[in-house]
Amino acid sequence: MKYLPIALLLSASIVNAADISISDARARAVPPGADISAAFMNVKNNAATDLAILGADSSVAESVELHSNSMADGKMKMRRIDQIELAANSEVALQPGGLHIMLIGLRRPLVEGETIELTLNLSNNTSELLQIPVVHIEPGMKKMHH
Amino acid sequence: MRKFATYALLGVALILGAWVSFELLGPKTPIPRYANASIGGDFTLNSVEGERQLSDFKGEVVMIYFGFMSCPDVCPTSMAVMRQAINELSEEQRMKVRGVFISVDPERDTVDELNAYTQYFSDRIIGVTGTKQQIDAVVKQYGAYYKFVQLDDSALGYTVDHSARIYLIDPDGQLADILAHDINPAELHTKIAAYL
Repeated sequence: MKYLPIALLLSASIVNAADISISDARARAVPPGADISAAFMNVKNNAATDLAILGADSSVAESVELHSNSMADGKMKMRRIDQIELAANSEVALQPGGLHIMLIGLRRPLVEGETIELTLNLSNNTSELLQIPVVHIEPGMKKMHH
Repeated sequence: MRKFATYALLGVALILGAWVSFELLGPKTPIPRYANASIGGDFTLNSVEGERQLSDFKGEVVMIYFGFMSCPDVCPTSMAVMRQAINELSEEQRMKVRGVFISVDPERDTVDELNAYTQYFSDRIIGVTGTKQQIDAVVKQYGAYYKFVQLDDSALGYTVDHSARIYLIDPDGQLADILAHDINPAELHTKIAAYL
């Protein structure tokens, strides 16, 4: 009987164990007048089963969609996708030039330094509420080696 | 007579075959597209300050980019690359560099909006657009590509498939290089600085 609290704690921790962990989440600061932006992040599926992001919501945009970018024959194509698959025990990068969460119909401009809310809806019927910073997405001024 | 025709046909086939295999298998030096003098050249499009011609910027290094404002990812990335490359220059050099963002979506992007969009990235980048005929002519001139695609499943309504390249124009107005949209800003800076 004295182990019951521990057992409860354990089961609770299993139920609450984050199936996914998010790192490096950020949304793109946009020029004045722009009514779209994109959010990027690394999503790690810690579970032993496959998961998927089925959609997302945010109060800053009228529509939030999952999109992919692909470059073929020097042509950039962006399309809406139904889900972003998260294979068991693996990490998926949502990044410029690739998969991203698109914020369409911005209700206000996204200004560098602020934080926006974004909810990811997952295939295991849970959702993940994120607070993500708005930043200038800079490709990085890496010094060239000669 | 029939025999002659058969031999003649066979001969033609042999020559054709040899030519085709030479074309396919023969040694070839890859020629960069920009080495083709027919790519590039002057054009006139509209900006918030009225008509602008590429030749207005003679003496400056110009970076031309074809895009559209509702492009959420690739175009702002290229603009950010340009901004960083420009910001690495000295003030004197900066004044001899110009970015030209050509919107292929004049229905959605007005010259006023384009001006606000490009100024956000750098005061050295201007936004221009024109009628579909004008845009198509410049796109063809530079060997670029764009295509409107209906997106029935998206709140966007439509998107634009597009080539995403930075065309580097030397101070004489000649096409000097064609660069990837996500070129390292340091590399772009080096390429610009070479003409300054």
